[in-house]
Amino acid sequence: MRKRYAISVDVGGTFTDFVLFDQASGAPAAFHKVLTDAERPARAVVAGWREILAMVGATSADVDHAVHSTTIVTNAIVERRGVRTALITTRGFRDVLEIGIEQLYDIYDLFAPYPAPLVPRELRREVDERVTRDGAVLRPLDEAAARALVAELAAEGVESIAVSLIHAYRNPTHERRLAEIVAEMCPEISVSLSSRVAPLIGEYERTSTVVADAYVKPLLRRYLADLVAQLRALGFERELYMMLSSGGITTVEAAMDFPIRLLESGPAAGAFAAGYYGRLAGHAHVLSLDMGGTTAKACLIEDGAPAVARMLEADRVHRFKPGSGLPIMAPTVDLIEIGAGGGSIAHVNNLGLMQVGPQSAGSKPGPACYGLGGTEPTVTDANVVLGYLDPGYFLGGRLALQPERARAAIAGRLAEKLGLDPTAAAWGIHAIVNENMAQAARTHLIERNRDPRSVAVVAFGGAGPAHAAAVADILGIRQVIIPFGAGVGSAIGALTAPMALPFVRSHIALLDQCDWALVHALYDEMRAEAARAFAGAGGAVTYRLAADMRFAGQYHELRVDLPADALGPEGVGAIEAAFRAGYTAAYGRAPSGLGIEVLNWHLIAELPRPAFTLASEPCRERDPQVALKGERPAYFPRPEPGYRPCPVYDRYRLEPGARLAGPCIVEEREATIVVPPAWRATIDGYRNVLLERREDEGAR
Amino acid sequence: MSGQATFDPISLEIMWSRLIGIADDMWTTVLRTAVSTIIGAAQDFGCEILDAEGHSVAHSNRSMPVFNIVMPTVTRAVIARHPIETMRPGDVFVTNDPWLCAGHLDDIATITPVFHRGRVVAFAVTVAHTSSIGGALARRTVRDIYEEGLRIPLLKLYDAGALNETAWAFIRENVRTPDMVLTDIEATLTANDLGAQRVVAFLEEYGLPDLTAVAHAIQAHSERAMREAIRALPDGDYEHEVWADGLDEPVRLRCRITVRGDEVAVDYTGSDPERDRGGINCTLTYTQAHTVYPLKCLLSPNVPANEGTFRPFTITAPEGSILNCRVPASVGSRTRTGWHIHELIFGALEPALPDRVQAGNGLMNSVHVYGREPDGRFYNAHFFVAGGRGASRGRDGIGRNCFPSSARNVPVEVFEVRAPVLVHTRALRPDSAGRGQWRGAFGHRLELGVLPGYPLPVSFFIDPDRLHYPPRGLNGGEDGPRAEIWVNGRLLTPDELGGGQITFAGPDDRLVLHIPGGAGYGPPERRDPDLVEADIRAGLVTPTGAAVGS
Repeated sequence: MRKRYAISVDVGGTFTDFVLFDQASGAPAAFHKVLTDAERPARAVVAGWREILAMVGATSADVDHAVHSTTIVTNAIVERRGVRTALITTRGFRDVLEIGIEQLYDIYDLFAPYPAPLVPRELRREVDERVTRDGAVLRPLDEAAARALVAELAAEGVESIAVSLIHAYRNPTHERRLAEIVAEMCPEISVSLSSRVAPLIGEYERTSTVVADAYVKPLLRRYLADLVAQLRALGFERELYMMLSSGGITTVEAAMDFPIRLLESGPAAGAFAAGYYGRLAGHAHVLSLDMGGTTAKACLIEDGAPAVARMLEADRVHRFKPGSGLPIMAPTVDLIEIGAGGGSIAHVNNLGLMQVGPQSAGSKPGPACYGLGGTEPTVTDANVVLGYLDPGYFLGGRLALQPERARAAIAGRLAEKLGLDPTAAAWGIHAIVNENMAQAARTHLIERNRDPRSVAVVAFGGAGPAHAAAVADILGIRQVIIPFGAGVGSAIGALTAPMALPFVRSHIALLDQCDWALVHALYDEMRAEAARAFAGAGGAVTYRLAADMRFAGQYHELRVDLPADALGPEGVGAIEAAFRAGYTAAYGRAPSGLGIEVLNWHLIAELPRPAFTLASEPCRERDPQVALKGERPAYFPRPEPGYRPCPVYDRYRLEPGARLAGPCIVEEREATIVVPPAWRATIDGYRNVLLERREDEGAR
Repeated sequence: MSGQATFDPISLEIMWSRLIGIADDMWTTVLRTAVSTIIGAAQDFGCEILDAEGHSVAHSNRSMPVFNIVMPTVTRAVIARHPIETMRPGDVFVTNDPWLCAGHLDDIATITPVFHRGRVVAFAVTVAHTSSIGGALARRTVRDIYEEGLRIPLLKLYDAGALNETAWAFIRENVRTPDMVLTDIEATLTANDLGAQRVVAFLEEYGLPDLTAVAHAIQAHSERAMREAIRALPDGDYEHEVWADGLDEPVRLRCRITVRGDEVAVDYTGSDPERDRGGINCTLTYTQAHTVYPLKCLLSPNVPANEGTFRPFTITAPEGSILNCRVPASVGSRTRTGWHIHELIFGALEPALPDRVQAGNGLMNSVHVYGREPDGRFYNAHFFVAGGRGASRGRDGIGRNCFPSSARNVPVEVFEVRAPVLVHTRALRPDSAGRGQWRGAFGHRLELGVLPGYPLPVSFFIDPDRLHYPPRGLNGGEDGPRAEIWVNGRLLTPDELGGGQITFAGPDDRLVLHIPGGAGYGPPERRDPDLVEADIRAGLVTPTGAAVGS
């Protein structure tokens, strides 16, 4: 039976966001935001969970299901806060991770750097074993040596072991045996196998992926086990689904098995929210700009949905350039992420220039103005000094900011070194973080063949609304949409995304030589898993099928939706036609004389859920004065640099149709919207704030 | 529209990035549709958009640097022989002429004119290193270009959309693994077509009649940046000399770099004459490309490159020298000479650019295997492996790339799937980097053999550099090591290497290559002890190797 509420929870590096969704009406019943608990994230989730249910007088027993996204995985990698991890690999290959692909990703930059491996060389160890290209065992695993190695690693305090053996994608026996040995000897050590996490040819990419998985696995497992136990104790009986980087969902058990698939969990959810609000505002193509406490994410949404890439690079270390990060072979919403958030720390580098991020103060100690012990100046501190944030109304007044600490941090740590006054230094922080975001967004859009000026921005995340107009200005974008509930955008996104559970199995064969009985067996297996995962939920599950295919001999495959009922020799023609159509659409022409090869078989199981719907109210001429909370000085560099009196409005009292002229500030509990002088704002029928650049003033 | 039209800075930057994006899409298309290891895995190719005059506008970000610079040369050769008024939609030109294109027969250029509103507005060009062009497998043995394979004169591969069946048949009959070679050529045609479509869509989106105005604006921008960078260099004559292994006797390379105002002239007078064997000669187009590429890296690394970037440079070498060889000199292994040009330039400009130049580079190596499987099919695979790069003031050498090539290495698993070989080791080799206050990047140890159980002998074709001359240290930094080739536990002398063919009959035979690491910068005794300690902890420097003066 379907219960009334669904809850969405998004754990970011700084804040944990909640949306309570009323499945009866299809409308959000409440939004909520609490500080993330860095040491024990489940504690903040549980506290916020109780609070948001209390807002509507409901209990955990009224919750039908929960969807959960988190940036725990990505933040652990970017900030190098994973566990002590070792890599076990085939004799002769301990340096695969460090050698990488040996490519100049920036051909003219003699000094372009590469990211440090997640596992240092001293923790990369070799075992005697070898499998050949056909999967035959050439040299059996030396189990005695493997046991000695595991004992050594345990003695060295390793918490997690990644195993990546040559050709393990073809024959995983040795990797599995190593996992058994670790489980027997040291069950407390976590193990990730390349043959399970990313069973793909190419030892560097596969190793990079499994190492990242191992690096975060104990963190995520501890967290999820803690969370589920606490939610059960509150009386929540139903399923907690985890948002995947690909935009689908999965069960807690599967998430614990493959944490790397949650790498961009929160941002993927956010991208769906942006698509949803873009459609509401009549824009098919939008740039999703999600700026939280730790990072910012930019994602192009075309025709309402984000694209899914087969891999992404985590932790790009050089101007967001492709090739400068760690490759992670897991399907991911195609987005770019950079270290630019409210908590990003500003510092003076060795050239005497100011830099902002990627280090973040997180939620603890947090920005200096939180008064929780932070002393480094951050973006949030700058926004306080510039008058954009009301120290008395941060999180609706639940966290009192201390502006004198913000000013002191900026003065002492930056302004003096740079010979600037604190206001100029604060503006510098704000402007640099905006430039960083704009540059990343531009790279992302142009790589996808899109002129930035042809899209609108949908801005959300706790810090997004304060920066969105300025970032849009840099990109030449004239329209910004700030959804109602922008501060909890990712949590909304998880409710607007389809409830889709992806499954995949490998059977590599030429299309006309497929073992169709095997293919059917694989699909039966996947359907059974899907049915188990959705067992507690109501509604009829629907299935979609797809396959990764290529011309034999090529190195890259194309994912093709399979026509219905085509799984069999009689369906080969239809499958080939679908592949050729997809190939021609992508590349223009197909090569002659090559066979077609199928590699992976996908199943996507979908559970229908009531559409997330927002009621539209009529827009009329409204007097914004009723929503005026007051006035405070805020700094803008144009037309003349300086503080000027700026009206401050209460978003909850602004009625549809109201119009505001910049400069002004609109506050809601979870976020603050800055409307710069050259911009104006209107409230639409869904109470979204639409910012528009005024035509009468030149760009920038 | 006149060539003088102006664009606001935001529009120009976006249009510029879009054009680079189009070249990148071409590049991705080649990568995703090719089938050889050398193109599909090692990525030895490049893609470029040029204007209707054959001047480069944008190349893909990971294009082979040398290809970017020769694509205009080959395109202008096309225009000289086939004036653009005579071109028709559906025409595609092809050549691998080393004097017009990339310096050896293996690099095939396909040149596709782009039509918009009835006339040629641009060219989409790809140059890719084919997996075979026929000729001798043991490249060190060749005496002239006729032994190096098929020379494809500049001709129309497609004439108004119709395939030149004659040319296609000539290629098919003259190369090894012809299906692989022809599928890869098709990949370049697919990429060019996609580039052409995107250029037309771009012009339509911006309402432009042709590329002229935007190309001129972009080229002017890059040219201005380069001229400013040159003006910042002190005027003067900068000279340097380096020695390369050569074949039987070493090769001397000399340069004189003349900086005057905002122009640079590089002359190679004093370099050795061309050689009558071994393919180590460079054509002038190739020499020019390997000259302006490192200059661009030194002077203006952050501005995207195009025709404008290279206008301030004049490159000359005496005809008949090893850097400007004449037909029919052999050129197949021209990297053995050409990959030393950047060292020559770095050495010459060290007094002017002490913070930017780098010490000697271990250099990339290629291992080629080719032969017949028991079922009669042929295998043909290349395995690339980088050397360590040299250190510079304030930085250890950056490993992990193949500079001055932008190829990537070939995954061990891919190489093994494509050929009956077993890679026993690919690892960093301890103590393989030149010491210094800043050390070079480490070199590799590569150990190869035949796949056990494989019934036939397998031949490895290698052509290693740095057997005689190690990567040179800078400013008191130590040299890197020399390359070493070990066969079944015995170190080969360069003479014993012969033609570079090593044939193994059994699974116990082993070929071990020690690829050099980079050279050091600054005196080793000034190195931060913590950094030495970290290298020892990682097992990359042995305590003996760390001891200064040992």
